[in-house]
Amino acid sequence: MSDQSADIAQRHDWGSARFQSNLARRRRNEKILAAFGLGAIAMAFLVLAILLWTLISGGAQAFRQTHVAIEVPVSAEWVDPADPAKGNYRNVIRDAMQTTFPDADPSELRALSGILSNAAQFVVRDKVVADPSLIGQTVSIDVPTSDPYDQLNKGNVDTQSAENTRRLSDADIAAFQQLKDQDRISLPINWALFTNADSRFPELAGLKGAIVGSAYALLICFLISFPLGIGAAIYLEEFAPKNKLSDIIEVNINNLAAVPSVVFGLLALAVFLGWFGMPRSAPLVGGLTLGIMTLPTIIIATRAALKAVPPSIREAALGVGASKQQVVFGHVLPLAMPGILTGTIIGLAQALGETAPLLLIGMNAFVTAAPATPFDASTALPTQIFIWADSPERGFVSRTSAAILVLLGFLVVMNAVAIWLRNRFERRW
Amino acid sequence: MYDTTRREGAVTQDDIKIQARKVQVFYGDKQALKDVDVDILDKTVTAFIGPSGCGKSTFLRCINRMNDTIPIARVEGEILLDNENVYDRRVDPVQLRAKVGMVFQKPNPFPKSIYDNVAYGPRIHGLARNRAELDGIVEGALRGAALWNEVKDRLTEPGTGLSGGQQQRLCIARAVATSPEVLLMDEPCSALDPIATAQVEDLIEELRTQFSVVIVTHSMQQAARVSQKTAFFHLGNLVEYGDTDDIFTKPKDSRTEAYISGRIG
Repeated sequence: MSDQSADIAQRHDWGSARFQSNLARRRRNEKILAAFGLGAIAMAFLVLAILLWTLISGGAQAFRQTHVAIEVPVSAEWVDPADPAKGNYRNVIRDAMQTTFPDADPSELRALSGILSNAAQFVVRDKVVADPSLIGQTVSIDVPTSDPYDQLNKGNVDTQSAENTRRLSDADIAAFQQLKDQDRISLPINWALFTNADSRFPELAGLKGAIVGSAYALLICFLISFPLGIGAAIYLEEFAPKNKLSDIIEVNINNLAAVPSVVFGLLALAVFLGWFGMPRSAPLVGGLTLGIMTLPTIIIATRAALKAVPPSIREAALGVGASKQQVVFGHVLPLAMPGILTGTIIGLAQALGETAPLLLIGMNAFVTAAPATPFDASTALPTQIFIWADSPERGFVSRTSAAILVLLGFLVVMNAVAIWLRNRFERRW
Repeated sequence: MYDTTRREGAVTQDDIKIQARKVQVFYGDKQALKDVDVDILDKTVTAFIGPSGCGKSTFLRCINRMNDTIPIARVEGEILLDNENVYDRRVDPVQLRAKVGMVFQKPNPFPKSIYDNVAYGPRIHGLARNRAELDGIVEGALRGAALWNEVKDRLTEPGTGLSGGQQQRLCIARAVATSPEVLLMDEPCSALDPIATAQVEDLIEELRTQFSVVIVTHSMQQAARVSQKTAFFHLGNLVEYGDTDDIFTKPKDSRTEAYISGRIG
């Protein structure tokens, strides 16, 4: 033993100031670490709370829509009983306003017709076309008001401000108040938000097209990325020889997962639209693009899940004479399934919220009908949010928040499904 | 300690089941086994002993070609099972492993029911023609592994719910369900408590009436208790092979003597 070596038999004075200060320092460090951790979590919660608060406070109004109930006399003067679809329903609506406001002169009637949404004439038309015997009678309709009056009813218009700084004149406000006094104004749940596709008029704009488009795109994304991703992962993890080539492939797959999504959009633009001539704005192309983008995520999650299966299970199966394929599909894959499903749903959730690649293939088009097939032009939820956020009408402000809430709702549901699937599959073993 | 000489009279030891000839194993550039020559007898328990990393498990895994699953492992030489080289091109390792069963260090039942654990081997090899035959095989294997009475009323419960010792016997039942000719055991008792160990050792004694049993063990007491033949490995060499009694009482090699007296290992 060298001279410098300490005598391990010596007794330390643990109560001395030196050891006490050392102990105090360690305790302090632990407290600081805990404080930082708590601070970080508090910060995250605060940001989340602010996000949700702004979305809910801003978006809640969009879930209700001001409606006005009026009686519409359908005159044979404007609508030909032989061809009710071709009638001049604009004049029919004007007649209705004349009936509602008997004192208004023709120039005022034009402004008064603006209280009703543009949809009013189509609602009347549809009723008359369905039942031509209504011509000459009076039809009761309950239609959305146009956006400025909706905003007024929701208290978003400062009626005390100078008249020339607002869209509604004092006369408009007075007319609306008159309707209100007649008990014609109601504020029901805005089902149009879910049953209508996009529209230039906020009171008519809905998410149906975006939801259906996103659903188609996500379905195609799943059909592409799930089988391909699992297949690729199984091959790479279980069957591929470990050499330079497989190393290069692995590195590239990891890199692919980190490629900005807009690049996948450019790829899709060049390949799917350019070379293959696929339809523009179609959920089919969107789904293919998102599928390619999700592929690396699923491959990585699946490989990790396969790797996490204990080797003892493989040995056990090999030991009784199972072939490689029987080991993988009979033992390893079922055990890896919860991890694979979780990774897949996380990947799909990411794809659901992806905007940039869809912008490049034209899924931010203005489409007023929900797509019937994946080949029809459509928007998706994130691009719909993008379009609405870009629109100047006041009504789109709250609708943008509402659309974000709907998107978040879908994401929460998907993550809940991921957790449920994981627990379900794990319980079996 | 067992009086093995008396028991040996009851079984035929003359048949050589496995002949290893100049077996060498490399893991990459590292040589793990050097020129191993050994004859393993039928209906006999052969113990492989030696310090950690001596190559005894490696050699065991050569017999049923489990080393094939390690990409960097390379095996040279011949291992003849009933005079047929298991490394011959014509031999399919999948079928070989039905004939040469294996039990691992840690009990590793499948996360399936007790019944499905035992029935797995017979199923994939198509041993049973119908459900009744399969039931018979499962019952026979569980009886063979001295587990039947403990689990016959809960065959549908998961095998992973059994105790450690029961799980290991379930693994033995799974291995014997394909009616193997050789049973390889890689330290089968190292994860078990003394009572479960004693049960497995009794079982090995039973099993040797039907198979050739090869057991790798760290416990020299266990080797002495259960085996009739013992092979001592050291640094990749088969140092000494002979009757268990001789190895433990009058070892020929100084390294063997050093190991069994606890001086190396």
